Amino acid sequence: MSGSLASAASAEPNLTPMLDMVFQLITFFMLVTNFKAASLDLSLQLPVVGSARSVDTEGVDLLILNIDKSGKLNIYGIARDIPSYIKGEAKASFESAKRENSKFDKKDDLPTTIVVRADKQTPFSLLNVVIKTCQDNGFRKFALKAMNSE
Amino acid sequence: MSRHKKKHKGSEAVELNLAAMLDMAFQLLTFFILTFKPSPVEGQINLKLPPPQPVAGAKGAPKAGENEANNDPVQNLNSLIISVFAAPNGRIATMAVGEANVAGTTALDGRLKQVLGPESGASFDQVILQVGSKLKYDELMKVVDVCTKQTLANGEKLTKLSFVELPDGATP
Repeated sequence: MSGSLASAASAEPNLTPMLDMVFQLITFFMLVTNFKAASLDLSLQLPVVGSARSVDTEGVDLLILNIDKSGKLNIYGIARDIPSYIKGEAKASFESAKRENSKFDKKDDLPTTIVVRADKQTPFSLLNVVIKTCQDNGFRKFALKAMNSE
Repeated sequence: MSRHKKKHKGSEAVELNLAAMLDMAFQLLTFFILTFKPSPVEGQINLKLPPPQPVAGAKGAPKAGENEANNDPVQNLNSLIISVFAAPNGRIATMAVGEANVAGTTALDGRLKQVLGPESGASFDQVILQVGSKLKYDELMKVVDVCTKQTLANGEKLTKLSFVELPDGATP
């Protein structure tokens, strides 16, 4: 009698291997999850260009601008007013540069790189509005995004 | 002795309840699976885009008329102008390097190699792209792609471009 009771009490699944596996899966997803992808508007169709290469942008200050074919600026899925948004970002970039280098002057080129992700159907006149606004606010470094044809 | 026995029994009874930890771990796992969105592998073309400046002579170059032997109108200028005219459907209609028309991006590539390359002896360090307002972005990128492949006379890659918008309906 007492023997059967003891065997019933010990009938517990060993959860340790399952927990190990789950932690391994969590570790995997933590490492591959990239929250920067949230800033990309994946509905845009980028142009395909042969010489476009993926560049290591680790440590580079980037400002990603998603521009749809009607020339609207989308930031994290929200439509923004182009002049006011870029002006605000230019101010933030200047203050950040000033903190790092006290001699940084308003005439100097801002260190932030503007990443232009525009739909391939976007007319140049609408794209030029964004580029010109960025230039007027002191941005000089640009990266034009495209899919690689290879 | 009896005390020893009691101790032994107590150590056997210590068991961690892993169920709660497993629940939490599964919740974390669910979160990461649901938020996982593999980002596409995108390429980019890095450019330095200063605002368009008036076409000027290269630094240290002789002034206009100083060298009478020079019969090349663009020698000693630092900006090369490429005009890209748009068709009504947004495609490239015609292109011109300076005033000479080029047919297609392959011809543009050949012409730029002649004009900008190390053998040309030219002093260009930037390109001004005059672009039709209706030109679509993928067509513009074909031209930018050709430009950024070029090597300048000083051995550096061409990365300095400026964009100027041509008025609607501009023709060569």
